Amino acid sequence: MGLPLFSAQNDPGPSFFHYAESTGLTVPTRHGEGESAHATTVVAVRYLGGVVMVGDRQATGNYIASRDIRKIEPADFYTALAISGTAARGIEFIRMAQLSFEHYEKMTDSALSLEGKANYLSPIIQRNNLSSPLMVIPLLAGWDLSHQVGRIFEYDGAGGCYERLDFATIGSGSPFAESTLRLGFRSDLDLEGALDLGALALYEAGDNDPSTAGPDFVRSLFPMMVTINGDGFQELALDEVANRFRVINDRRTQSGGVAGGTLR
Amino acid sequence: MSMPFYVSPEQLIKDRAEFAQKGIARGRSIVAAIYDRGVVLVGENPSASLYKISEIYDRIAFAGVGKYNEFDRLREAGIRWADGTGFTYSREDVDARALANYYGQHLGDMFTEGQKPLEVEILIAQLGNKLHPTKLYRIAYEGTITDEPRFVVLGGDAETIRDRFAELDESVQPFEFTLKSAVAALAGPDRIVPPGDLEVGILEDRGTRRTFTRLNDARVSELLS
Repeated sequence: MGLPLFSAQNDPGPSFFHYAESTGLTVPTRHGEGESAHATTVVAVRYLGGVVMVGDRQATGNYIASRDIRKIEPADFYTALAISGTAARGIEFIRMAQLSFEHYEKMTDSALSLEGKANYLSPIIQRNNLSSPLMVIPLLAGWDLSHQVGRIFEYDGAGGCYERLDFATIGSGSPFAESTLRLGFRSDLDLEGALDLGALALYEAGDNDPSTAGPDFVRSLFPMMVTINGDGFQELALDEVANRFRVINDRRTQSGGVAGGTLR
Repeated sequence: MSMPFYVSPEQLIKDRAEFAQKGIARGRSIVAAIYDRGVVLVGENPSASLYKISEIYDRIAFAGVGKYNEFDRLREAGIRWADGTGFTYSREDVDARALANYYGQHLGDMFTEGQKPLEVEILIAQLGNKLHPTKLYRIAYEGTITDEPRFVVLGGDAETIRDRFAELDESVQPFEFTLKSAVAALAGPDRIVPPGDLEVGILEDRGTRRTFTRLNDARVSELLS
């Protein structure tokens, strides 16, 4: 690859995605047959000081392909990106997003706004999902520096971007996680409350959805828990995550697997 | 029918070189120097938004003097090349030497084949690690690449500044000392450059993947006082 110089008319500007496409760094997608699974659960919950995200770690094909993949990654310092759908495309999507945000920052010497990042991803998702059966549905959460608030953006299969003011879920375990979030969400959640609720929602999804892994005490593998706030993207330590799930699990064991009419 | 005048190749090259040199010498200079923990790039630049020094990749920085529109286009191409290479292979495969060679080729082509040579001189600095050494590559308007061992001066009255800096900073020193020497070399004996007119960027390991930092005016004046 030589020095990528462009004339002023053909210059792709600070967009890495358009540059990659124009020079063939990415493979063009084609229509094909096939059903795509989106076996995953990731939830994002807004709280007073930011956003909490919790995601399971299991990759499922016809059987369990991996128990410890990461579905939530920092897209940059203040933004988290989670994926559901085809793993290969999802991972490429995360790489593309990470690189695009950094590329824009280096080219223009200013970081994209959170809304700018959310909108930037729309056509990439659209291009992927409408031209290939290998679907990817991401979930974006970030700390908006200009408004000093945590925000969540969810997408539909055609790349439509929607801001959620409360919580959002992606993946096949969504119905179970969403029910829990709907019952437990309050607009004045603090960090502790949001972490508890997010963990419980994921526990429910793991309990009901065959393609979502709940806590795995045998292998000491637990869902990923991250916070995005004024201090940036932070992943909770394994011990802390393990304790949260152990508490939920103990409660459920005592009540014989029944939630019992309360959020327990 | 008019006959084109004959111009000998020697004369053509000489004219082109003179043209480029004149353009480059008009601008202000940039000093880049290796200090004990990294690389510092210092330039005189009254503009607070049209930068001459910038980040290319995790451990690579760029500096350009001469015509802003020309070197800024090279900077953008460098970022694209680096991000594209890192995306295709891996981040650790992005090496400053390859980039310097591409710049050399392009500048060489423009010098001999272009409508006019580019009136720029650029620098690619790389902070070393286990895989790649710390390097300063200076690429001249006609494509010559020089690999400078300790420091580089670009543009303006480069030779005078080079002598002044060599006198002040004889070996690799701590950051503050190197910065002060670079600023003193740029200013000369009877001039003081206000911190607001300085542009300073450094490459230094801080435990993060990206190592480039742009120092703001407040930080620069604090370091220089």
